[in-house]
Amino acid sequence: MPKPDYVAILLVLVEHRVDFVVVGGVGAVLQGAPIMTFDLDIVHSTEAANIERLAAALESLDAYYRMQPELKIKPQASHLASPGHQLLMTRHGPLDLLGAIGLGHAYGELIQKAIAVKIIAGVSVPVLELSSLITIKEETAGEKDRAVLPILRQTLRERG
Amino acid sequence: METAPPSDALYSEDGIDLTMIRWMLSLTPAERLEVLQAAVNSILDIREQNAKT
Repeated sequence: MPKPDYVAILLVLVEHRVDFVVVGGVGAVLQGAPIMTFDLDIVHSTEAANIERLAAALESLDAYYRMQPELKIKPQASHLASPGHQLLMTRHGPLDLLGAIGLGHAYGELIQKAIAVKIIAGVSVPVLELSSLITIKEETAGEKDRAVLPILRQTLRERG
Repeated sequence: METAPPSDALYSEDGIDLTMIRWMLSLTPAERLEVLQAAVNSILDIREQNAKT
């Protein structure tokens, strides 16, 4: 597995003008939560023009499905337009493209609850605000989320 | 003369390490991402070393 370079992946998405929101563990870390995660989770807009830009970004990232890495199956536009989850490997590490999260929260809703977070000088990316991230994780909390939720809630309290 | 350790609570009521949260909050978002990336890379290095032995 290539060592993750979250900034490199995000920069490729920004360069290709992809509409997306960072969610999940990396979104929480960016907002100060001391948790560990290996993959970058984003929710993307499924509008046709955005799917084209996303597909170009994924091509540039050499993305393929990590379920069967030996086959190097590339995601198709129809996959990217679905509300499902595309779990990919890229040359900069794992990237999860989520059509929707929780109980059907998609890009159009999440971008309203996102804040701009600077990742390098002059470049910011939209990140789902921590309180919304917590609310959505609470909706469908599996064991992994249940373990992390107390840390996220405490981070929110400490941030004030 | 020994200095007493800080008396502020180190853990929340449900056992969360508050010092880690406060330290992370003191960093910029870019620095937080670097911390995560360094931690992930360290774990992957260890896994790789163990896979070789």
